[in-house]
Amino acid sequence: MSRQRRFTGPLAALGALVALVILLFPLYAVIVASFENNSQLLGTHYNFLPPTPSFANYSAVISAQGGHIASTLVIGLGTAILTLVIAVPAAHALARYRFRVTGLLVGGLLIAQILPSIVIANSLFILYHKLHLLNSYPGLILADASYAIPFSILVLRAFMLGLPNDVLQAARVDGASEWKTFLRVVLPMSRSAVITVAVFAFLNGWGDFIFALTLLSGSTFEPLTLSIYSYIGEFSSNLGEAMALCVFGLLPAAMLLIAAQRYIAAGLTVGSVKG
Amino acid sequence: MARTATPARRAPDRRAARRGPATAEVSRASAWTRYARLAFLIPAVLYVLFAFAVPIVYNLILSFEQTSPATISSLFAPFAGLSNYKATLIQPVTQSAIARTFIFTAGSLFFQFIIGFSLALLFNLRFPLRRLARSLIIIPWLLPLLITGFIFRFLFQAEAGAINQILGDLHLISHPIGFLTSPGWAFLAILIANVWIGIPFFTVLLYSALQDVPVELKEAAMIDGANGWQRLIRVTLPIIRPVIEVVFVLGFVFTVKVFDVVIGLTQGGPANSTQILAPWAYQLSFQQFDYGQGAALNTILLVIALVAAPVYIWLNRESLRRT
Repeated sequence: MSRQRRFTGPLAALGALVALVILLFPLYAVIVASFENNSQLLGTHYNFLPPTPSFANYSAVISAQGGHIASTLVIGLGTAILTLVIAVPAAHALARYRFRVTGLLVGGLLIAQILPSIVIANSLFILYHKLHLLNSYPGLILADASYAIPFSILVLRAFMLGLPNDVLQAARVDGASEWKTFLRVVLPMSRSAVITVAVFAFLNGWGDFIFALTLLSGSTFEPLTLSIYSYIGEFSSNLGEAMALCVFGLLPAAMLLIAAQRYIAAGLTVGSVKG
Repeated sequence: MARTATPARRAPDRRAARRGPATAEVSRASAWTRYARLAFLIPAVLYVLFAFAVPIVYNLILSFEQTSPATISSLFAPFAGLSNYKATLIQPVTQSAIARTFIFTAGSLFFQFIIGFSLALLFNLRFPLRRLARSLIIIPWLLPLLITGFIFRFLFQAEAGAINQILGDLHLISHPIGFLTSPGWAFLAILIANVWIGIPFFTVLLYSALQDVPVELKEAAMIDGANGWQRLIRVTLPIIRPVIEVVFVLGFVFTVKVFDVVIGLTQGGPANSTQILAPWAYQLSFQQFDYGQGAALNTILLVIALVAAPVYIWLNRESLRRT
């Protein structure tokens, strides 16, 4: 068996390397492309390395799209905050207390995860028209949180169900109010799950396209996804800049993955399998 | 007798005493507590009504209305019966979009499972840097989907596209394939892009399921003379079956509603050859301004997605029972 191990180790490493090279190639390609100019990107062949690397696309994007990057950040942060404010207390209540509606609500959240965003967007467009929420940050953030809130409540609840009951009991015996128990005991103990959920909500807001496309039109702000979408129309004229903008769009996912790596894989697993 | 009489006489007093100030405080506290507990839930309930219940119901209403760009300013329009459904379903684009959505979903799930499960088995082996490899593989999952679509649009270009270049360098093709200009190839392009997005999801979940398979069981099977393939089919697969079911249900739900990838890559073209339900419903509502027809198609998409709901709830029965 040990001899078998000695062979499978390097072979598996080689297999994983090949798989990673293929799977991560699109990311490599977009980074390389962001350092090329338009004629190189649209020439007669593909360049595996930039022939004349330059930061021109980045400086053009920062001056032209800097505001959009900031808007996207606002949308991502807003989505994360709204998700936490709504999901954390709800998860606590659903994990800790018995309500007659608990089963109904958990079932409803499971179904909410299934609903296609385009259906919601189509209705919200007309409802927002009436509510004057079109082309506004609050309107967009409220819609974007629909990706994250059901998932977040279910993940947090699954996590909180696993918290030791006696600690909470002790807090209650000590005379802590429901609110204080939640803030001082439950919240600190659920830190890792809360971080996972916040990261996901942020990424959902940051990467949303459907709601931005439908609920913003001629608005004063626009997220990166809409800016990239507008490059599709003029694909051939500004491909280099579009690629640099894509790199900006990919950055938070990559950074958050590095920073919160152990939370992410664990959270995804809990959320999907044990939600 | 006196003894028994005394408690009998005193009993009402004691009960009355308990029902006095002390009892009132307890019941007032518990009512207060009950409201405090409900307060934790109220924002979530309101949000679910606002973002899910109301839009779904309104979409249903809209699908039975005679809408026009002018009716958008008022919430309701004249009743139209089934005319939106008829008008949508009679269009060849709608019919092919429905069929294509099923082929797209089946194809995506098939390849995502085959590749994702193979990678999960691979990561289950011991090799240097496997933790790094495992976290790198998650990246495609976390990227904005529109950007992924757009990057694949760049990769699938004819002459300057990386995929044509690689296929040409390997002498597999002599002329660049028009991935974005010929209908059949364009469908393959959106399928490949979507499989790429879904692989990490399948890999991560199946890998975590493989981690939970007891080593003793595999060793016992090995002692009984089962080879690797038999151990996989007879021992591993039955144990991880619940996770496989969840992965397929969620994969189905994610895939029938795919939108961003198609818009970023082909916008449904060329000649509607990559039109699937969600982008086509968008186009009906927001580019042809026929909100009624868009809503009708959305309802059809909704019904297809909701087929997964009973299965998904059944698979999550454990978490519902803990209430």
